[in-house]
Parts: sequence; C-alpha cells; structure tokens
Amino acid sequence: MSPIIEIKQLTKRFKKRIAVNNINFNIENGEIFGLVGPNGAGKTTTMRMLVTLLKPDQGEIFVGGYSILKQANDVRRQIGFMPDSFGVYGDMTVNEYLDFFGACYKIHPHRRAQLISDLLDLVDLGHRRDDMVDTLSTGLKQRLGLARVLIHDPGILVLDEPASGLDPRARVEIRELLLEVARLGKTILFSSHILADVGELCSRVGIIEDGKMAALGTLQQLSQHVMPHRQIHIELLSRSEDAQAALRSMPGVAEVRVVENSNRASLDVDFIGDDESIHQLLAKLLAEGFPVVHFSEDSKNLEEVFMRTTKGIVS
Amino acid sequence: MDSPQTPQQQPARMNFLNRITDHPVITKELKGRMRGKQGFIILGAYLSFISFFISLIYILIVSESSTTIGDPSFLQTVGKVIFSTVVLLELLMLAFIGPALTAGAISSEREHRTLDLLKTSLLSPRSLVFGKLSSAVAFLFLLIFTGLPVESLAFFLGGVGAEEMIVSTLMLVVTAVFFCTLGLFFSSISQRTLLSTVFSYATILLSFILFIFLLFIIGTLGTINARNIVTENILTTATWFLLSLNPFFAAVISEVILIDEQSLWLTSSNLFGTTSFPLPSPWIIYVTFNLLLSTILIALSINFVKRTDR
Repeated sequence: MSPIIEIKQLTKRFKKRIAVNNINFNIENGEIFGLVGPNGAGKTTTMRMLVTLLKPDQGEIFVGGYSILKQANDVRRQIGFMPDSFGVYGDMTVNEYLDFFGACYKIHPHRRAQLISDLLDLVDLGHRRDDMVDTLSTGLKQRLGLARVLIHDPGILVLDEPASGLDPRARVEIRELLLEVARLGKTILFSSHILADVGELCSRVGIIEDGKMAALGTLQQLSQHVMPHRQIHIELLSRSEDAQAALRSMPGVAEVRVVENSNRASLDVDFIGDDESIHQLLAKLLAEGFPVVHFSEDSKNLEEVFMRTTKGIVS
Repeated sequence: MDSPQTPQQQPARMNFLNRITDHPVITKELKGRMRGKQGFIILGAYLSFISFFISLIYILIVSESSTTIGDPSFLQTVGKVIFSTVVLLELLMLAFIGPALTAGAISSEREHRTLDLLKTSLLSPRSLVFGKLSSAVAFLFLLIFTGLPVESLAFFLGGVGAEEMIVSTLMLVVTAVFFCTLGLFFSSISQRTLLSTVFSYATILLSFILFIFLLFIIGTLGTINARNIVTENILTTATWFLLSLNPFFAAVISEVILIDEQSLWLTSSNLFGTTSFPLPSPWIIYVTFNLLLSTILIALSINFVKRTDR
C-alpha cells in the first residue's frame, strides 16, 4: 500500500533557528498518526508545511501524490486542517458558518444544505444550527471546527492540538468523534500534549524534539525500543508478600515493587517478554491460587517513552 | 510521481451573477455589515450630515436673495450650488468611511485567527481580496445612491446637466474604490487592525500635506524663475496635474471648465500662465490616476495575502 502522505527531508528555518530539521516519514491511508513533542519541537511547523501554509526551505511533501510546492490546490482539496487555536466568526449562525466554508471549497449551493445537515448530525450540533457561533462553548466550537474540516469530504484530517483547552468531558467527546471519523476511512494526523489521547487513538506515533524526529513507530515498537521492560500492574485481594516472592522466581520478571499508595495489595512488575509470556505469567499466578483482581500492562507507556525519548536517551 | 484523481467532484458551473451572489466573502461581509447596527448608523449619519448641510445652504441662499427667488437663472444657480455641495460632501465622507470599512479586512482575519482557515481552503487570495473590496465598495455605493434623493433637490431647481451627473458619479465611484483599496492594502500588510487604520488615515493626511507642500514649491519656483516659456509650461502642467489628483480641486475645476468653456474633456485656458495649450479636464486625470493606483494596491494586497511565510 502506498503512503498517502510522504514527508521527505523536510527542513524549515526561521532566521537562524532550525524549526524542522530533515524530517522523513510516511503516513498510510486510513492511519491515525500522532505527533508528539515538547513545545517548540516543530510539530506545528511540520503541519503548517503539510497544509501549504508554509513553504519548506528544503525537502518536499506529497499528499495523495500531489506536491505541496507545485500542486497546492490539489493538496488543499484532500486535506481538512484544524489549527491549534483557530478563530470562528462569532457573528454568524452555525449553519451560516458551515455554508460559508462550503462556498470557500466551491461546493455547489444545492449540495450544501444536505451536507451541512449531515455534518451537524455527525458532530451532534443539529439542535444548535440556528444559534450564533459566539454562543457555543469551547467544546462545541471544537466540534463545529471538526464539522468544518469535513465539509469538502477530505481524505486526510490534520488536527493541531484538537483537545487543547477542553474540559475532560469535551475531551472524551472529541476523542470519540475522531474515532468515528476514522471509521469513515479518513486518515488522521494530529498533535497533542495529552499523551493518554495519543496512546489510545493512534496506530503510530512520531516523537519530535528540537526539529528532529526522535522516535517513530507503533506504541509497542517505541516501548520496546526505549524500555527493555514492560510494566505490569497487578492487584490482589491478599497474599501480596507471597505473590511478590512467587513472581520473582518466574521467568522474565526483572523486578517486583510494592505500590504503597493503593487500597488493595498492588504490585508493579518489570517484565521482559512477549504477549504470550505475559499470558503465561498470569496463568501461573492464578494456578497458584493468588486472588488476582486486576492485571494490566501500564497505560502510561507513552508517557514513559516520551520522557525517555525527549531526554535524548534514544536520539 | 503520478497524481491520482482528486476524490472531490468538480463544482457545477454557475453563471457570473450566481458566482457573485454565492461568493462566500461578499455574502458574509454584506450580511455581517447589515445585520448589526453599524451599517444603519453609518447610513443614517451620512444622510443626516448631507441633508443638514443642504438645508443650511438652501436656507442661507434663499434668505439672502429673497428678491430674486422667482428668477429661473437664480434657481439654477442654487441647484448647482446644492449639487456641488452634495458631491463635495460625499467625496469627503467617502475619504473618511472608505478606509474604515477595509482597514480591518485582512488584519482582522489575522487577529481572529481565521486567515489560515481561508488560506487552506480553495478560496484564492485574489478571490479573498476581491470579496473584501467588493463588499466594502458595495456598501459605499449604497451610500452614494441613497444620497441621490437628496441631490434630486438640485434637479428640481434645475441647472445640473447629465454630464455633471455622470462625471460626478464616476468620480465618487472611483474615490470609493480608491479609499477602500488603500485601507485594504494596509490591512494586508498589518498584523493589527488598529495599526492598519492608523496607517490608512496617516497616508491620507500625509498625502494632503505633500499636496500643499508641492503646490507651495511650484508656486515658489514660478515666482523666482525667469519668465521662460518652457519652464512656465512645465510648471503649468505640473500644477494642473497636481490639482487634478485632489478630488475636491479636480471636481471644482472640472465644473468651472464645464460652465465657462462648455467642455467636458479638454481645456485650453491659460489659468496659471500666459501660454495656452490643451490640457485634459481634471476629472479625467483624477479617474485615470486613481484607477491605476487602485490596481497597483490591489495587486500588492493579493501578493501580501498570498505570502506563506508570515
């Protein structure tokens, strides 16, 4: 399968500062790709070059086979872009706002009414279609923004910090919405500081630091690369000391720590092995009669990968 | 690399009128302007201002000349004075309102962080600038045409010909376009609307000061130079062109030529020197120069909107 986005030797300087330094990566069709990195790492600059708002000093990006340098309009047709802090026209109704952007994408007036209706249903804003945009909450404006990027039915969505500034509920709703959009077959490239969102949504992650791609791959690949141990969290009803001793004697277990601030008897295990080995570890614990009530691989993996990568451990 | 077909359908063809009425920027701007109170306040203030001055002039003239009130030639003179006053007031108002309508056209999109959304759509910079300018000019046209009933008092009294009407309307339209373009240009180069507004009005003020200064220089050169025919012709032509660039002088001198010489296009008068040679009527120079300058400013504005590294 050919990649839908190809980024080749991309470099961008702002005066003497190199914002993006020779970045290369591809994104496959239908993928949800997360771009993470500290502030000023070059995520937004990369995205702005991708959506034709900035010209690279060196390198090239192909979107669906079209060059951002030579075929900018063809690229724009394929991309829906939501910047990190985008404004809305407060003096328009929700319906007028989408109609305005529909006209900007040269969608025929006869098609727009039905299209807007469908989009408002998708983002669950149908009941607010005649309200002024200014009266919407931040979360609803973000949903409206998502409807806007879909107005011309692009194959690719480029979303810069889509969950920034949202309350927890709105954040979850946006995440659900992104998953729904991904199910429609869209390719999504998004950046976020909320690593839990990236970890849950993305099929692949790129970590950018100081303008360079510090790490790239699936979460599992990155974890294995920067952390030799997988972290497993186990909770038991009782017998935590016995379980500790038993775990230490099992193959693949590097270290066992007691988690002090938990209501239950909790253990963190550093484990070396694949999914099959983890399954065997759990099976042995149960076979030996330990009352296991919780067994999971630590979901904070991306956070750990991010911290270790951006400290320069990998690069 | 082969470029695949875009999944987007090509838009169905629309005729020119439909494209104008469906132009997103024109529709949005006009709707926004007329939705709030601002549009009606400007329109009301504009008409009140003109009506007040017309009434004042009419009352003054009539009260000063009560013995000749029935004389048709006197009424025609009153008609001409009223018409000229309306045109000059309209020119003054357009110079004030024009830049105010467009000084925030692009810069406010930057301030509200909506310019990126437009630039990543299929709306071209040319179309964006055209839409912003058209909607502002359309509003000024509304002002010009709503002023027509006030001007009709002059037609009722007589003395105003079709040529005066056409030329004055043309000058008003060109003035509206130019002042809107000026505001639009500064808006395209500024990050902030306040800055763009200050630049626009400062340019108008500075160009007026420059106009007075140049007139003074030419006047001084005329007095210190020996009476040389070539120098005199050059100074006469320079003065003529300079006066023609000012809308008020251009309008007044064009009217004087029309009344005195019955000529709409050329004058052969030696108004500023002893020699006599044909010169175009000031309104022609004014319209040509302003259209040229507007075109240049529009091209520059498009270029600044198009720039990616901002």
